[in-house]
Amino acid sequence: MATAETHGIGKYVAVYLCLVVLTALQFYIGYQNIEGSALMVRVLTFGIIESILVVVFWMNLGSEKPVFIKFVVFFTLFVLLTFNYSWTDSFRILLFRVTGIGPS
Amino acid sequence: MSEAHLTMGAHSAPPMEAPPFAIPSKKLAIWLFLMADVMTFAACVTVYAFTRNATPDWPRPFHSVSAVFVMTLIMLTSGLTMLVALRAAKANDKAGAFRWMMITAGAGVIFTLLHIRDWMGMMSQGVGLFHNPWGPAAFGAAFYSITGFSLLHISGGTIALIVVAIRYRGGRYNADDIEIVNIFWQFVGLVWLFIVPLVYLMNVAR
Repeated sequence: MATAETHGIGKYVAVYLCLVVLTALQFYIGYQNIEGSALMVRVLTFGIIESILVVVFWMNLGSEKPVFIKFVVFFTLFVLLTFNYSWTDSFRILLFRVTGIGPS
Repeated sequence: MSEAHLTMGAHSAPPMEAPPFAIPSKKLAIWLFLMADVMTFAACVTVYAFTRNATPDWPRPFHSVSAVFVMTLIMLTSGLTMLVALRAAKANDKAGAFRWMMITAGAGVIFTLLHIRDWMGMMSQGVGLFHNPWGPAAFGAAFYSITGFSLLHISGGTIALIVVAIRYRGGRYNADDIEIVNIFWQFVGLVWLFIVPLVYLMNVAR
C-alpha cells in the first residue's frame, strides 16, 4: 500500500521551508493596509499555493494513480465552486443594508 | 479435510474484487472522508464569508496575530515530523516511527493548548457566541464555529496519532496505517492554512 517513495526527507524539508516562507509572506500581507477583496485575494492565493504543496507532496496525492488524482481534484473543486453561489446574495444583502435598495 | 469441504470452501469465498481506482480500501476511505470533510469546512467558511461580506461594520479585533503565527509554525513543523515518522515506519524502524509520531502528537497538544488560550483571551474580552463588544453578533458565532471545528479535528487527530503510534509499536498496526493517519494530519494542517487568512488576517485591526 505504501506509495510514498522511501527517499530522504530532503523533498519534505524543501516543501516545509517553502511553506514557512509563504506563511511569513501571508502574515506580512495581513498587516499591510490593504482593504477588502484585494486583501482576501492575496492571502488566499498564498493559501491555495500552500495547500497544493501539502496535498501533492505531504499527503502524497502526487504519487497516486492519475485516475484517482482526477477524481479527487474534480470532486473537491466542484464542491468548492458550488459553494460560491452564495456570494451574489451576500452582495445583494450588503447593498440593501447600505443603500436601502432591495428587492421590491 | 474432506474433498467436499474443500469444494464448499472454494465456493463460499468468491474472488476478491479489485479496489476502486486501484488503491487500497483504507486509503480510499480516508480520502472519501476528507472530501466529505471539505464540504463541511467549506460550508462553515461560506457562511462566515457570506455574513462578513454582508455586514458593513464587521469588527477587526486582532491587534496582534503573533500567537497565531507561532501556532501555524507548530502545525507546519508537526506535518514535517509526521512525514519523518512515516518514512521511519516504511524503513521498518519501529522505535523511530513511534518517537516521531509522539513528537507530532506533542506538537498537536501544544497547538491545542495555545488555541484554548486564544479562545480564553477572546472570552475575556467579552466575545461570546451571540454577543461581542464590537457590534455584529455573528462575529462570535463565526469565529468560534470555524476555529472550534478545526480545533475538534486537531485534538481528535492528536488522539488518533497517539492510538495509532501505540498500536503500531505493539504490532497491531503497520506502516500503511501510519500513512492513513498522516493523510488526515496533513489535512487538518491544510485547513488551518485557510482558517488563518480568512479568520485572523482578514480581521487584523488597522
